[in-house]
Amino acid sequence: MNKYFLLLVFLLVGIFSQAQSTDPLVSNCVMNAGPDTRYLKDFRIQLAQGSPSADMRYKAQMSLWKNTKYRFSLCNSDESQGQLILTIKDVANKEILSSFDKKTGKIYPFIDFICNKSGIYTLNFDFDGGKQGSGVGVVFMVR
Amino acid sequence: MKGKVAIILFAVLSVCFSCRNSSDKTKQFIFPEADSVPLEESEKLSAEAIEEISKNISSPVEIANLLQMMEVPFSADYLASTIDANKQETAFDKAISLGILGADLGYLNMYEQTASSIDILSSIKKLAEGINVGQFFDFETIKRLSLNRSDLDSLLFLSIDSYTQIDEYLRDNARGQLSALMIIGVWIEGQYLATQVVKEYPDPVLKDRIGEQKIILNDLIMLANPYCKIDLEYSELCNSLQIIKEKYRDVRISYTLGEPISVEKDGGLVVTQTETSKVEMTDEQLKEIIDITEQIRNKLIVNK
Repeated sequence: MNKYFLLLVFLLVGIFSQAQSTDPLVSNCVMNAGPDTRYLKDFRIQLAQGSPSADMRYKAQMSLWKNTKYRFSLCNSDESQGQLILTIKDVANKEILSSFDKKTGKIYPFIDFICNKSGIYTLNFDFDGGKQGSGVGVVFMVR
Repeated sequence: MKGKVAIILFAVLSVCFSCRNSSDKTKQFIFPEADSVPLEESEKLSAEAIEEISKNISSPVEIANLLQMMEVPFSADYLASTIDANKQETAFDKAISLGILGADLGYLNMYEQTASSIDILSSIKKLAEGINVGQFFDFETIKRLSLNRSDLDSLLFLSIDSYTQIDEYLRDNARGQLSALMIIGVWIEGQYLATQVVKEYPDPVLKDRIGEQKIILNDLIMLANPYCKIDLEYSELCNSLQIIKEKYRDVRISYTLGEPISVEKDGGLVVTQTETSKVEMTDEQLKEIIDITEQIRNKLIVNK
């Protein structure tokens, strides 16, 4: 009996300490990034319904460095009506990559980016079609 | 306010576009004197702009990752272990030390040096409490993860996330000067680590990474500028950043153009950038950067 009680206590402590320390959406996204990745930073995005044709609404800057392979993982909450998409532009506003293929309409859940030009880039996030949604974009280094 | 930032951005973009219009294949991007932001402008930077700048600064984890890829062994000699959290009296000292030790923590975590990271964590705890932001650091969980050595991603996530929360809290509560100090501390320690290692391991990739710091140096200066007149400590730090910038003046970064190549793989997309950046930095310039970084960083870690 004591053994089971202790086991239960350990389980609860484990669950509680995990829950209090991280947002589950972020931690799941971090944990499912795949092997050989190292967490760098995350962008938590929550957007109301917008216009489908408008510019992407959440923008953040980030320095990306030459000779580094980055992974951008995009995760959506269950309540999200849209799927999170990411487009990266360089300092000259040139599109470098997008997780949304305009030709096929396909949305990729992650993008690996082999960076060969160091600089400050703009990460543009939105949900497809300007839909309402909440999600997280997590940036990793890939070894 | 946003208009001013837009003007600065426009000026930077104009420089880039004018480069692109030239006929040479190789484009040079040099920081001219004119791109330095006048103090009056930077003093008016919006909270949004400061937030953007703070996100730009590269993570010390990236430098540590690079060192691991170069198979550089861990060395405790690079750490700022002389910092005594109990002897950091002013908020300035506490915040900058918090940044410096944060970078060390990133280095230790990446190398899974748990014994040393527990000592650093204790100092971080004291310093964070000293500027009333201890509540954002989940010390017990970070300590547990450090000791377990089993879950590096959770450890990195929690450590970095704690610093992000502290940074946001300080900025939201009109204590942006401490947030700026923390970020500058992180950068200086990362730069110190890279420059110390390059002395022993003169790897071209590491040399380039040091030279490329020129790209974000102006941002760091902009981040510090609104606070340069607070007191002597702040003005000395601002001067130090200007001296570092001066050492970078003739370091050149040039670019070659190209279109990214995308391929689908394992359900995701792999994008390879064919545009490249190239750093031109002489050994003498590198030496000066190494020396000034060491000098400034060592002055910051002296206990008062």
